[in-house]
Amino acid sequence: MRKRKISRRRFLEGTGAALTAAAAAPALRAQQRPGSAGGATAAPAAAVPRTTINLTINGASKRVEVEDRWTLAEALRDHLGLTGTKIGCDRGECGACTVLVDGKPTYSCSQLAVWMDGRSVQTVEGLLKNGELSALQRSFVAHDAPQCGFCTSGQLMSATALLNATPHPTPEQARVAMTGNICRCSNYNHYVAATVAAANGTHSPQRGERFASASSPVAAMTVIGHDTSRIDAVERVSGKAKYTADVTLPGMLYARVLRSPHPHARVRAIDLSKARALPGVKAIVTHENCDVVWGAGSISGGAQYNDEIKKITKHRRYAFNNPVRFVGDPVAAVAAVDRHIAEEALQLIAVDYETLPFVLDPEEALKADAVKIWPEGNLSPTARNEFQPIGQKRGSVEDGFKASDKVFEERFSTSFVHNAQMEPRSAVAQWEGDKLTVYTPTGGVANCRTDMARDLGIAPEKVRIVCQYMGGNFGNKNQNQDADLIAAMLAKQAGAPVKLELSRKEDFIGMHGRWPTAQYYKVGVKSDGTLQAIQMRGYSGMGPYRKNSGNIAGVEIYQCPNIETSISPVYTNRTVSGNFRGPEFPQGFFGIQSMMDDVAAKMNIDPVEFILRNMTRKAGDQTPYTNYSLEECIRKGAEAFEWKKRWRAVPGSDPGPIKRGAGVSFMAFRAGLGRSSAVVRVTGQGKYSLHVGVTDVGAGAKTTMGLIGAEALGIPLSQLEVVWGDTDRCPYSVGESGSRTTIMTGYAVIEAVKDLKKQIAEKGLPKGDEVLIGTATPNPTLQGKVRSTFGAHFVEVEVDTELGRAHVTKYLAVHDCGRIINPLTARSQILGGAQMGIGMALHEDLLYDRRSGAPLTPGYYGARISTHRDAPDIDIIFIESDDGLGPFGAKSMGESSKVPAPAAVANAVANAIGVRMKDLPITRDKIVAAVAARTGARS
Amino acid sequence: MKAFTNANARDLAHAVTLIRQGRDSRNTVAIAGGGSDLLGMMKERLVTPDVVVHLRTAKNLDQVKQTKDGVTIGGLITLDALSSHPLVRKHYAVLAEAAEGVATPQIRNVATLAGNVNQRPWCWYYRNGFKCLKNGGTTCYSVNGENQFHAIFGGGPSYIVHPSDTAPALVALDATFRIVGVDGERRVPAAEFFVLPTVDPARENVLKDGELLAEIVLPARSAFSRSTYHKVLDREAWTHAVVSAAVALDINKDTVRSARVVLGGVAPIPWRLPEVEKLLTGQRLTTDLAARAGEAAVAGARPLAKNGYKVPLTRNMVKRTLEGFVRTA
Repeated sequence: MRKRKISRRRFLEGTGAALTAAAAAPALRAQQRPGSAGGATAAPAAAVPRTTINLTINGASKRVEVEDRWTLAEALRDHLGLTGTKIGCDRGECGACTVLVDGKPTYSCSQLAVWMDGRSVQTVEGLLKNGELSALQRSFVAHDAPQCGFCTSGQLMSATALLNATPHPTPEQARVAMTGNICRCSNYNHYVAATVAAANGTHSPQRGERFASASSPVAAMTVIGHDTSRIDAVERVSGKAKYTADVTLPGMLYARVLRSPHPHARVRAIDLSKARALPGVKAIVTHENCDVVWGAGSISGGAQYNDEIKKITKHRRYAFNNPVRFVGDPVAAVAAVDRHIAEEALQLIAVDYETLPFVLDPEEALKADAVKIWPEGNLSPTARNEFQPIGQKRGSVEDGFKASDKVFEERFSTSFVHNAQMEPRSAVAQWEGDKLTVYTPTGGVANCRTDMARDLGIAPEKVRIVCQYMGGNFGNKNQNQDADLIAAMLAKQAGAPVKLELSRKEDFIGMHGRWPTAQYYKVGVKSDGTLQAIQMRGYSGMGPYRKNSGNIAGVEIYQCPNIETSISPVYTNRTVSGNFRGPEFPQGFFGIQSMMDDVAAKMNIDPVEFILRNMTRKAGDQTPYTNYSLEECIRKGAEAFEWKKRWRAVPGSDPGPIKRGAGVSFMAFRAGLGRSSAVVRVTGQGKYSLHVGVTDVGAGAKTTMGLIGAEALGIPLSQLEVVWGDTDRCPYSVGESGSRTTIMTGYAVIEAVKDLKKQIAEKGLPKGDEVLIGTATPNPTLQGKVRSTFGAHFVEVEVDTELGRAHVTKYLAVHDCGRIINPLTARSQILGGAQMGIGMALHEDLLYDRRSGAPLTPGYYGARISTHRDAPDIDIIFIESDDGLGPFGAKSMGESSKVPAPAAVANAVANAIGVRMKDLPITRDKIVAAVAARTGARS
Repeated sequence: MKAFTNANARDLAHAVTLIRQGRDSRNTVAIAGGGSDLLGMMKERLVTPDVVVHLRTAKNLDQVKQTKDGVTIGGLITLDALSSHPLVRKHYAVLAEAAEGVATPQIRNVATLAGNVNQRPWCWYYRNGFKCLKNGGTTCYSVNGENQFHAIFGGGPSYIVHPSDTAPALVALDATFRIVGVDGERRVPAAEFFVLPTVDPARENVLKDGELLAEIVLPARSAFSRSTYHKVLDREAWTHAVVSAAVALDINKDTVRSARVVLGGVAPIPWRLPEVEKLLTGQRLTTDLAARAGEAAVAGARPLAKNGYKVPLTRNMVKRTLEGFVRTA
């Protein structure tokens, strides 16, 4: 190791007493303390200690000068161009940054680069041998291990180390070795299967069976319906896939955001003088010099934001708000020549806050004496400023309760669960004249462009949105983010490109997660268990801005003559709530299906029988479905799961402290048709290309679109180039939210191919420089029918009632998702949803301190996001159907796999221990307390 | 992170020299073993050192040596190396098991035994930067706040729980800590190393500024023939123990000659249960005795508003851990 001379000299100049000692120990140098208490003076950049180190990277010796404070991950990514190593949390909590140091898996975010002197570092880029994938990488491709791919490099490095030591690991050994690598797509089963199979070059058997639905059987197709690896799988397993944070532009600045430490406060003054004086700071934006409205940040009522709503909405959310209304509300943003200077600058901004009273709980927020977060009060209005709860009514619940033999009432609650996608929010913005280009992780490049143009007051043609790869979605990414706006405004002010990367903590507290709910049910039944009336009152905590609906779903999946619901989306001073994989469904389905399971238990009716008697047969008990397979899902599932054997007729009746039980839940979820676009081209050389505005959030949309296009064209997938994720190169797509892309954009692909085929029929195939272009923007509608996907989940849990541990011992997910376009990626979708649902049921939460209003558990560690060891094996059954609609009968999938999961797990826990757990998550403390209370144990 | 200077230590003496130099030039000094936790705290600016003294460059501070009195373990040994060391596995299972269950493989590959023993609390108030007793303030926010994971024993004025898995194991094994610092060297029994908040609410142990935990001495392997470490977590990996139990027994046939029962996750220090140890000593280990030990374990518990569940959980944890020996005795 060699110290850079300039630093040494500065040290010698800067100290007196320590001079002699330092000469003997040159590593020790004094320095000024920029940003320390009082923030006296800023240190010039040259004073930052630097050291030259020698290390081996991927087998090659390197001599590198690093700042002492650079982490290894930072050095690899920012300074050595090795961006295959990802930063997911920067705190050693997620594993995306895993590299091998002297052969051992290590979090490169939690080691200093300067500590690597004399050591050997291997990154994902080093796994390739002569440009060829390793056996493990090939196995990852074959098993569809990466979904979004952001955690993949880390998983690969941990698995590589395992295989080096243990060439033929068991699944349990793989889980243990990869525990430190979180996959929020939750494709844990595929990662394990791929690792176990790698050494043998074999393929692990897949836990997915397919049966044709009797309701509308499917006929086999050529390209569609066969396990197909993703068209970008090699990029995802080799570190070559470029995510937003991997984009580097010449002269690019780095940005950081200062956020409110108070849940509710007025900003009296912001003193930027010291921050502006810090050398290297190039731009600062606050509410004082930026009044840009972030439209998508407060779409009242979940309507797509538009010019009319922008004009009339009363509760506007700005990029920088005053007053600030939650801990994490942006107050200022700085762009500087490097990330550390940007961070130092934040320390130098002095904000004078006048703190205001705040409220965290939605039910308390509706009380008369609660602080009003907005002038009209805390019941959040619709997009049209209507202050009323969401509700539905059919028949008369009063009559229904009178006609009932028994009436039951219960309260259930669910917690705030963060999307926690592996890639932290980031944006790179660049202005070229009046044209803005934004690289950003978005599931909807087209909608993001429209939003950016509207918010910034420029023409959509002047905005280009690029997203080639993104590290997970799970909701509210089919629009622009405030990070996109902030990066754009800083770039404008600085006259240079700006990269903004949120920290994991910022991502947790500054963005959004699933809205927490309180749900009150009153249910009336006949003595044979037939439902007579359902009354439901719900409260959703939305944070201070209504980003989404706040609805609570579930009542509508029961056949019942009398229903009445009233759901209040309520403002609170907590992190904003938004869409997360089935926005209003998993929490609502947990509530009502726990309620119904409890009703069935109290009436000594098998819950499967109760469901078969009361489940939806027609939408809203009126409108027929395009096909109906719910009963098949339940009967087939109950048989395959061995329901009668696993379910305990007397809950909690297993002898001893360790008890098993089974739970079931079911699902009907929207699979509607709608507008999207596609373009397909063929050149005179016979080259086919498909242009679709998808980005592929991890579900595999690029590949799915390619398969649909190839099938329609009658060519192999390999002969069709797919172009995606760039508004300058792709037409409108509906955007990857609401499980709509396969149905809507997939259908547009078929229509575009039809258009192309028509032209070919008229003009013949193009020759020479000729190109034929087929386009389509279909907007199919459905009259008199409702299109839905169906499913049922069956779960067995084992609960240690003494130690409070609940874990899943068997899980079966049965789904009718219409025709399966690609069984390989379809399984990944089901696995991921089910695993996420288990996490929501058993441990995930964002806890707040009630006195300060500050969140206490942001991040993967605090929020207890599931790890490899939390992820059981999931069995899957597809009941395949073709209702003749959508692309070859394909229906929605991504969200529906999570929707029934929490209810099924909770019902299984209740069946095992004989105590109904009414509040998610069902953590150890609640189980131990509930069991202790029931048994009257001494405590 | 605030800018700082990294200083690599060549050996223990050099590390002490570097610390002294840092202090003499009025710089704040942090000591890095594995460094994972330190870097996290530096990124959060919970600590803002001017100088980081990096120990893993030092030679021979990570060795396991057998002596006539027992075994000496260098404080710089990684948890991975510690848990897989044959000698440790064979004769000090409680320590190997405790090390094996810490966090994740990536952390165990760098984290050191000394660092694990000396890690700062993972109380969410401290980690989120509240000006609490551990962070230069005068309040423990957990008392009237969110205290699900806080102390049921020995709390006040701070109610943190000691986060280390290896610490209860070392107390159970009657380990001795060799401390080296700018003012010289001293030896402290593990049980006296950790201090209650009534002694010093800002710290968890007797280490003074400029001191480091250099070595751990375990008594001869004959002392406890059977030992184990059990813990329960809020997910299956990578959280800190909600409750843990380190149990070391000297058993002859199935009669307990001597016992150590030390809990983690329930008190600001590894919480030894002398009454339970007394109850076990001289008795035949049966499920009934295990149940009575569980009862005795929680005799003095004083739960806060939201951690009452830790009382039955602790009782069951002690019972179940001892039952494990009944089955295999």
